[in-house]
Amino acid sequence: MLKVTNLTKQFSSGGGPVVAVNKVNFKLPDGCFASIIGRSGSGKTTLLSLLGALEKPNDGRIEVDNQDVAKLSDHAQIKYRCNTIGFIFQGYNLVPNLTAVENVMLPMEFAGLAKDMRTKRAKELLEQVGLTVDEMERKPGKLSGGQQQRVAIARALANKPKLILADEPTGNLDSQTGDMIVKLLHGLAKSEDTTIIAVTHDLSISKLTDKTFKIDDGVLKEV
Amino acid sequence: MNVVSRGIRNAFRNTIRTASIVIILGISIGLSLTMLLARQAVQLKIADVQSSIGNTINISPAGFSGFSSVNNSLTTSELTKVSSLPHVTNVAESLTDRMTTIGSSTPSFGGQSTSSSTAQTSLTSPVTINTNSFGGSAGGGRGFFISGGGTLPTNFTPPISITGTNDPTSINGTTLTITSGAALSGTSNTNEAMISKSMASKNNLSVGSTFTAYSTAMTVSGIFTSSNEAAAGTVVVSLPTEQRLSGQTGDVTSAVATVDSLTNLSSVTATIKSTLGSSTADVTSSQTAANATIAPLNSVKNISLFSLIGAVVAGAIIILLVMIMIVRERRREIGVLKAIGGSNVKIILQFITEAITLTILGAVIGLIIGVIGGTPVTKLLVDNSTNTTTSSTSQFGGGGPSLNITRGRGGGGSFFATRLGGNNIVSGVKDIKTAAGWSLLVYGFGSAILIAVLGSTFAAGLIAKVRPAEVLRTE
Repeated sequence: MLKVTNLTKQFSSGGGPVVAVNKVNFKLPDGCFASIIGRSGSGKTTLLSLLGALEKPNDGRIEVDNQDVAKLSDHAQIKYRCNTIGFIFQGYNLVPNLTAVENVMLPMEFAGLAKDMRTKRAKELLEQVGLTVDEMERKPGKLSGGQQQRVAIARALANKPKLILADEPTGNLDSQTGDMIVKLLHGLAKSEDTTIIAVTHDLSISKLTDKTFKIDDGVLKEV
Repeated sequence: MNVVSRGIRNAFRNTIRTASIVIILGISIGLSLTMLLARQAVQLKIADVQSSIGNTINISPAGFSGFSSVNNSLTTSELTKVSSLPHVTNVAESLTDRMTTIGSSTPSFGGQSTSSSTAQTSLTSPVTINTNSFGGSAGGGRGFFISGGGTLPTNFTPPISITGTNDPTSINGTTLTITSGAALSGTSNTNEAMISKSMASKNNLSVGSTFTAYSTAMTVSGIFTSSNEAAAGTVVVSLPTEQRLSGQTGDVTSAVATVDSLTNLSSVTATIKSTLGSSTADVTSSQTAANATIAPLNSVKNISLFSLIGAVVAGAIIILLVMIMIVRERRREIGVLKAIGGSNVKIILQFITEAITLTILGAVIGLIIGVIGGTPVTKLLVDNSTNTTTSSTSQFGGGGPSLNITRGRGGGGSFFATRLGGNNIVSGVKDIKTAAGWSLLVYGFGSAILIAVLGSTFAAGLIAKVRPAEVLRTE
């Protein structure tokens, strides 16, 4: 269960303070696939950063399994990001000199999982997202955009997170591959009982999600 | 794959860049090691020179330089004051005179004669003169020369030194090895003498044979050998005997004081100078000679130290800049690693491992450069330094050790024949070799790793400052 209450984040700029996220409230059950749509600069990336404990809010609460993420220490935030959150980035952000399997193993290494355990799980996850054994041993440069995003999804799932935060997951993909990735995420949300929040300005994604929110000038509204 | 193996692998991410960095680092580390080896070799050589020169102080009458006559001499009573000084363990006193062979003509020096009717001997010097080598310069070639010019008569034989000493086991600090007969007593006043093996051979003498000196029959009591060429043409008698035969009762022309330790050498030298006074005696310690010899080595030592510091700093700056460049280039990757749960410590460790890998590769190349280049570079430094010193000293007719045959006191013209033995001390100093021992290599390797860690420190600070949220913002 994810519960966000009065979440506020403001930045100071040359023209005075800018409220990027303004008293945001929402609640999502486990296994829910939600999308947040909004134009550029509407505050969706800031909201994602706050949910992922990449930034600290000025006010409000983010509760994941009754734990207030906003009040965690720096060390606890690292553990939170490692064990509770999975990130999927628009540009995949895979480590270029590591193979697909090694990329998926990274979060498990940070979590302290034994090598044989993480190798086994990484291969299972890559198989789950549709990579062949040959593709698993390739470096990102030798994989297509869709394959790289699948690796990124497998990496996000590595530590069995409660919450997956996807930033424009289909932004760099063609529409056909994008649809396939969204369906994959939807299926994983159900099968792994993981809550997924995808930030996008692709309205077609919102049709495939359980809940859709629109953010405008930091104010979030369910559509 | 863990943090360390990922760091090692990252070092080879860009082969061309890695090769460039490793070569530059290798040159820097190689230069550091070369300078370290040069410094170590020079330090060893300095210690060697210091230990070989010994802890003795030479005392001679004021103005006596070995190249001129002197009209005054020291006395035994003056040297008694030196014997009683603290830290002085022994004072070997000697009175030296020059004898001409009976029947030998003496050379003329600007019309002056050096003949002395009383200081004559039946002995013939074993030293032979190659007339083809006359006219050598004072700067350092081998051969004889006559100060102020002059000619040698056809029946000339080199003069013979006679030294009376209270320590017949050595002459001017050079040990005499008795090969036949027995050593004299330094305090006896008998007509006995010791001669060199070459002198005995030249004059067909053996222990018990007699010869004349100062018109007195002398008995050979012992035959010696010595490493010093000058000793070959010297007759050794006891100090009282020489004082009596030459009519110089109580006089001494030189003394060698031995000090209990090298550390007291300078202070005792100063004390002797103040005790005897500069108008009475010239006091020079072996430390003075050592300092002159060591001066170019110290110069090399300083050059190598500054070069070492420069090379180490350059190595550290190279690593620092490389790591800053790498961190800036991989800012996004660092952000991703942090976003997916990587802690600062693990990420910094990964980058430090990368820096250490690059440095170790550089160190391997550096060690090869250092071991190969150590000796030639050190020789080059020492050669340049000693050549500068030699050229400056040779202007004053200096050079290597010399065989001086000098009248000691009195006499008319100044005759002395000098065989310049070349720059033996300088040659010895130039004979320098570096040795890269295991400890030095281990220290060098350890230092390289330390440089890598220190060079990564600033980069680590940059890593810690990377905010993972930047990854999302720069998408």
